[in-house]
Amino acid sequence: MKFSRRDFLSAAGLSAAALVLGACDSEGPKRAAGLLADAERVNRKVERSLFRHTSMDHAPRGAAASGDSFPSYFVSDEVPVWDTAAMGAWRLEVGGMVRTPLSLSLDDLMRLERRTQRVNHYCVEGWTAVAEWSGVPVHVLAELAGVDPAAKVVDFESFDDAYHESWDLESVLHPQTLVAYAKDGKMLTPAYGAPARIHSPVKLGYKNTKYLTRIRFIAEPNGGYWSDRGYEWYGGL
Amino acid sequence: MRRHHWIVRLTHWVNVIALGVMITSGLRIFNAYPGFARPGGTFCCYPFEGKAIPAIVTFGGWLAGARHWHFAMMWLLVANGLLYLGYVYLRGGWRDLVPRRGDVRDVWAMVRFYLFLEREHPRQGKHNAMQRGAYFAMPWIAALTVMSGLAIWKPVQLAPLTDALGGYQWARYWHFCSMLALVVLAAGHVFMVVSVDPWSLRSMITGGWSERFSPEVRNARPFVNLWPRAATMAAPSAVTGNATPDHAPSAPETHP
Repeated sequence: MKFSRRDFLSAAGLSAAALVLGACDSEGPKRAAGLLADAERVNRKVERSLFRHTSMDHAPRGAAASGDSFPSYFVSDEVPVWDTAAMGAWRLEVGGMVRTPLSLSLDDLMRLERRTQRVNHYCVEGWTAVAEWSGVPVHVLAELAGVDPAAKVVDFESFDDAYHESWDLESVLHPQTLVAYAKDGKMLTPAYGAPARIHSPVKLGYKNTKYLTRIRFIAEPNGGYWSDRGYEWYGGL
Repeated sequence: MRRHHWIVRLTHWVNVIALGVMITSGLRIFNAYPGFARPGGTFCCYPFEGKAIPAIVTFGGWLAGARHWHFAMMWLLVANGLLYLGYVYLRGGWRDLVPRRGDVRDVWAMVRFYLFLEREHPRQGKHNAMQRGAYFAMPWIAALTVMSGLAIWKPVQLAPLTDALGGYQWARYWHFCSMLALVVLAAGHVFMVVSVDPWSLRSMITGGWSERFSPEVRNARPFVNLWPRAATMAAPSAVTGNATPDHAPSAPETHP
């Protein structure tokens, strides 16, 4: 992105206007939207260049697990519960740009390599919660399915209405990004995304799709529930 | 006479905008979860847990809107701050800002003068001792704000930084507290400009300055002696009677 003197003056002017007219919780001048979008693109580049698979999260020493105080939310009218009678046994589909699409039952998932980690959950609102998550690292599923080198993005889909979030591939393959089926040593309950969900400390909570149904490897970003509603698509930590 | 170089004037006003947007959008972000305790937990050191900041001092409209402003404006804030610090360092302006021996005594002298316990304005160079303290503290506090901000922006990728600040919760707390300290300093600064030295606005806008208007020569306290003494009264002896050459108000920068 080229940042000309004109852009600079326009940014300064807009910011000044934002400051004078825009207090009282306004969103600021509409004309600033383009500049904010440019800044988000720059930030995404910076964040991706900082990103390392060796950077790991760990819950603070001495911090108690949040347990039932761990806030939970969903976008359907009621807690989404997989209805086996109506929809058949739950399975996780791994597909898109892969050599071997997978269809895994919960038992299949539990037989695969398991990782248990005590990490933070970072909510975009500013709170954190501590839990011990168990599940299959997504990179294990990626290796099993054989991902096309042209795949750059992964979409995590759910049965919580149309909730989904797509991620950059390198965050998906981070060792702490799990298809989690247990929290604090117990199988997930519907409040926390049963039967399985994405959980990773490298992305903000809203990127961590609960009630997971499908992992789809794709070429281009496909937005997401909150990303389409104005939150940053990258949402990385 | 010129008092402030254009880089200092430019970065000052850009900072007003950038810091203003950072603080107000930051408060809007804070309002999404106005506290430091984990859900279900407690936090030792914040008495207003759960109480939102009044919307009138927030900016961004909603959490995502405020985040976009915050993460865009941070680049301008940091670039501007580095330009200012680089200039002040390279051109020697820092000499007017660093603490000196006797500053504690000189701050006390200023306080006594402002409280009408002294008749004459203490002698000073470019800035009085209270100003030097504030202008010296500002970049250090701002550096803590920036570092703690990085720590809560990237708590996993910059984990060593976040850990050094005591973890995410504490880093968020330091981010908040250092912001408050900047607000207090800025509020004090604005109060002093309005009540003691409104003439300094001229030197911060055009760079122009004349000794006649300096608080020392006017013997100005808050809301006292705002106007310069009449020209005929400003006999050299009255002006420089308590001044010695090494700190006389000849300190203003001169620029090519």
